[in-house]
Amino acid sequence: MKIHSRSILIIYVLGLLLIVLFLLDIRLGSISITFADMLAHISGRASLSEQKLLILTKFRLPRIATALMAGAALPVCGLQMQTLFRNPLAGPYVLGISSGASFGAALVVLGAGATGIVATWSLAIAAWTGAGTVMLLLLFVSYRIKDVMTILILGIMFSSGLAAIISIMQYFSQASALKSFVIWSMGSLGNVTGAQLTIMAWAILPLLVLTLAYSKVLNGLMLGEEYAMTMGIRIQRTRLVIFATTSILAGTITAFCGPIGFIGIAVPHMARFLLNRSDHRILIPASMLTGMVVMVFSDIVSRLPGTEQILPINAVTSLIGIPVVIWLVVMNRKAQSL
Amino acid sequence: MPPTEAKHIISLDRLTIGYHKDNALLSKLNLTVNRGEMVALIGRNGTGKSTLLKSMIGLLEPLDGRCLLDGLPFAEYTLLQRARRVSFVSSQIAQLPALTVNELVGLGRMPYTGWMGRMSQEDKALIKQALDEVQMASFSKRKLDCLSDGERQRAMIARAFAQDTPLMVLDEPTAFLDIPNTFELIRLLSRFRDGGRSIVYSTHDLETAMLCADKMWVIHEDRILEGAPEDLGLSGLFDELFSKSGIRYDEQAGRFHFSGYIKGKISLEGEQGKALIWTRNTLVRLGFLLEKGAGQLIKIESLKDGYNWILENNLGSKRFNNLYTLAQFLIQE
Repeated sequence: MKIHSRSILIIYVLGLLLIVLFLLDIRLGSISITFADMLAHISGRASLSEQKLLILTKFRLPRIATALMAGAALPVCGLQMQTLFRNPLAGPYVLGISSGASFGAALVVLGAGATGIVATWSLAIAAWTGAGTVMLLLLFVSYRIKDVMTILILGIMFSSGLAAIISIMQYFSQASALKSFVIWSMGSLGNVTGAQLTIMAWAILPLLVLTLAYSKVLNGLMLGEEYAMTMGIRIQRTRLVIFATTSILAGTITAFCGPIGFIGIAVPHMARFLLNRSDHRILIPASMLTGMVVMVFSDIVSRLPGTEQILPINAVTSLIGIPVVIWLVVMNRKAQSL
Repeated sequence: MPPTEAKHIISLDRLTIGYHKDNALLSKLNLTVNRGEMVALIGRNGTGKSTLLKSMIGLLEPLDGRCLLDGLPFAEYTLLQRARRVSFVSSQIAQLPALTVNELVGLGRMPYTGWMGRMSQEDKALIKQALDEVQMASFSKRKLDCLSDGERQRAMIARAFAQDTPLMVLDEPTAFLDIPNTFELIRLLSRFRDGGRSIVYSTHDLETAMLCADKMWVIHEDRILEGAPEDLGLSGLFDELFSKSGIRYDEQAGRFHFSGYIKGKISLEGEQGKALIWTRNTLVRLGFLLEKGAGQLIKIESLKDGYNWILENNLGSKRFNNLYTLAQFLIQE
């Protein structure tokens, strides 16, 4: 299974695209900061103004770093779920992780009435706790239940149950709290700064490396769990690792950014289509790269260049992701067979 | 390391299988597979063929008893050790991943490669050999969803071959195949057997199994009978096996017929060899019992460019120039 030259070319093109979008995203905004400015600053020839430096380090770079992490992590979660459940429509949230996070957020915002910037920390912690609780429950269930499809159904049911409880909480909440919660649920890349960014990076980066190390095992799962066992894969342990990494990755992103739709489902399909490969050893890094490109692009779109308005990121990623999924399913037979 | 030269590669020791303790499918099985032997597991749908194969290789927990692999209980091997001794081909047409044939066969090397799955020259050579064995080398770059049923099954078997295990277990490998593909596949398995591997495969196709299996395990009611196909044939098992299904095993011809009501008795003489065999088949298909000195007689006459059949009975004699018109006449009578 050597890496084809076509795949290498595509990886290079994606990498280049990412760099271009990255620079564009830094530049765009009410105050323009160009690549040349930054280069001059780093080399010490001409330093950026204090205001520009502040905008760069406190706002734009953290936001893009968040976008990059979300863009790398969510598609990997989606890919793992699609392979494990052998279902092209599985995504990072099928296990109920985002519902768990939303429930945690709802408790803080709707229950305790916390709003504003002060609440960012407690919100993230609550959402993280919610996602973590769902994960522990899931790991417990997956240890007890043999059939992986049962776990999928339980995850979906669990997720719907939590959504119902959240809607009851919304129904009985104050208008201002309700608005805060709705805004949280629309997702945002711009709220993660300083220590939060560090925590997020610590939670996500090591796990991304771990998923790369698990790519051989994911290949073995493509024929289903029975075959995987006869090829020496320990199913119970593999499931635990996959559920745990997916939960922590998706849970962390959701806790800090709110739910971000469709990236997790659509990007693995985009990567499969681009490379025309199913080997996870190339598909996982390719999904990360594609995801980062799509997320940075979505961030640019959400900032509506030339205006002062910002669109919620969740809506943008969905609007980009949905046509991709539809196009893949309708136009491309390969997407149907994963 | 476990001993590798036990006499039986597999021996079942009072193995009881099923899904619930109080409802065992098959109980106290004592069966063996020798090295380099091909065993066909025969049984009707729902009699527990898959369950037995899966319990045998550790995919399902047996209810009781144990299965010894190379003289040691399965539980004493790690999954990786098992994977290097037993390969499996499932009966399910799984949702096929968008792999190429080459990538699929490469998965067979998983138990031997490192954590990143990097292939050595030896691995690549074995993959190539596996593709050659199943005559799929020219398909190696094709995607699995662009293959016919027969090609796909051969690719799955190549994957198992590349796993390079002394024992291959196949659950209904011929289930979705037409007759030429079935024979080709069975011949392939026989070749693996001749190469020294042990093969256990399940099927409900008794006839092809009779052509190749060294031993049969036949599920009958709640027992499994073990023996050479011919031993089981001699014992009259096959007739008993199919007695409820309206199929009769013709012990003289070694093949099956529908057992409708007996239409009559007839005797057959003349030409020996091919013509006799096909005429007999026709008569048995129509439901005639062949008996010397019966009221009706068919004589086969050899001509330059074919055969003639002369039917003689108390109404006189009549000549036919093919079996179809003879059959039509006999049916109308």
